[in-house]
Amino acid sequence: MYKRTLMICVLLLAASLVAACSKGETDETGLPPAGGGGTASGPTFDMSKATATVSGKISFEGTPPPNEKVQMSSDPYCQQKAADYPTLETVKVSDGGLENVIVFVSSGMPTGVSYATPTTPVEIDQHNCHYVPHVFTLMTNQPVKIKNSDMTLHNIHAWAEKNPQFNVGQPVAGMVNDTKFAKPELPLPIKCDVHKWMGAFVGVFDHPFHTVSKMAGTFELKLPPGKYEVTAWHEKFGQKTMMVEVADSDKKEVNFSFNANDKAAD
Amino acid sequence: MRQNIALHRFALFTACCTAVLIFVGGLVTSTESGLSVPDWPTSYGWNMFTFPYSNWVGGIFYEHGHRLIASFVGFLTVVLTVWMWLKEERRWVRWLSTAALGAVILQGVLGGLTVIFLLPAWISTLHACLAQTFFCTVISLAFFTSPGWKRGLPLVKSHAESIPLQTLCALTTAAVYLQLILGAVMRHSDAGLAIPDFPLALGHIIPPFTSNKVIIHFAHRVGAVIVTTMIVWTFYRIRRSYSDHLLLFRPALTMLVLLTLQVALGAITVWTAKSIYPTTAHVLTGALVLGTSLLLTLRAYGMVVHRTADFRGAA
Repeated sequence: MYKRTLMICVLLLAASLVAACSKGETDETGLPPAGGGGTASGPTFDMSKATATVSGKISFEGTPPPNEKVQMSSDPYCQQKAADYPTLETVKVSDGGLENVIVFVSSGMPTGVSYATPTTPVEIDQHNCHYVPHVFTLMTNQPVKIKNSDMTLHNIHAWAEKNPQFNVGQPVAGMVNDTKFAKPELPLPIKCDVHKWMGAFVGVFDHPFHTVSKMAGTFELKLPPGKYEVTAWHEKFGQKTMMVEVADSDKKEVNFSFNANDKAAD
Repeated sequence: MRQNIALHRFALFTACCTAVLIFVGGLVTSTESGLSVPDWPTSYGWNMFTFPYSNWVGGIFYEHGHRLIASFVGFLTVVLTVWMWLKEERRWVRWLSTAALGAVILQGVLGGLTVIFLLPAWISTLHACLAQTFFCTVISLAFFTSPGWKRGLPLVKSHAESIPLQTLCALTTAAVYLQLILGAVMRHSDAGLAIPDFPLALGHIIPPFTSNKVIIHFAHRVGAVIVTTMIVWTFYRIRRSYSDHLLLFRPALTMLVLLTLQVALGAITVWTAKSIYPTTAHVLTGALVLGTSLLLTLRAYGMVVHRTADFRGAA
């Protein structure tokens, strides 16, 4: 009886170790496979037809709220960089413009076409215990390179809801992991559980009409002729939409405005 | 029955280490460090026991520290079980220690699974509940190997009561255990601040049930009222009828003091928006209330007798 119980305990332990050591639905990089894509079927859209330019500025009205202070003392390596990064990067305003806003076409795209997936990888780096860039966009199934340039450990935890979640470690400087996101998702937060202040936001789209506002809150989209709903999304202030209609080779301006009272949905 | 003080002390030591482990496990959740080591049973590819200390940074300090202390408690449990099978005469005590070993192994597996599957609430909750169950099992082992139990506890004649003291203590222990399960569900479903005010709940005595999180949180508060009632009732009963029997009175008083501390910590947890140390202390104190209630229950069953024929001890 005793031997039988002991055997059951040993088998349970062995089974758990096997389960723990198996990688499950992951490839050799430790990240989940992209799986089925969300890209529409049909003839590939010719991007040379995207001749119209929609540009504009994301303005911020009033005084920007202060960003949360960062306490990096839990990691001596990060602490060395603390003076350069005293706060989070949530609200970044320059020349009255809000940076790190994802601007994208939310409706009106040509139907019955598919869009070629860029083969150029998007790179996100863990540098000085921060994600660089803090916000970026890409297309479904576009390669993503996740790099660790720091002399400390990071884990990359994708808090995806529509795509598979993953959590992998990069204990050594210079490590690179490749992944893809198969389904459109906004926002797709990425965080490091080792360093609580580290966070990034990804916008994954099944079309190429998306960008992120830069210095002074400026952005530019190349679009084919048509009538579009354009959305601007910010991690703290939520999203706003505007309509725009462009003809061939048109240049139109679309400006968004956020203020401290705007809030992102929970 | 042969005394084995060393075995009893070892069981007691294991119980104390388990309390420390529960606190450290609570810290992992409070600091949201559960996924800071993304692999298991390895740590960033290293063997758990050779993972360099210089890499214990940020959340890794809590998560890896928890794994090591858990391994130590697992080791203690293995030693305890082997020791029991070698020296303990009572077959049922030997099997109880084997159950403790099974629980600690399962607990380790659940801890690993919660990392691999990225903290699903039900696995994390099960992990938290099994921790309390294991703690109770080890406390029981320490109690059953104690010289007092082996010699035979002093018997006490039961007073004429609608609910016997043993039953009342057992019900109190069950209520505390259920309350800890509710607490674990609340904690791991991120409902700890679903009601951010106290003593009112969203400005009302009974809050509007706008989400499952509010329901879970409020259920924990209702549970606290029930547990408080049970503990006060138990204490009052012992003070009234058994105050001369320190083996009953002391744990009852301790339980009441711990309850007061626990309610205060619960309130502070809400008022400080789940500040790390009050929140974690709330988890540990909950375990200590459960352990004390269990001890009291075991003593009540061992001491209080109903029939005069059985009564041979102090009245």
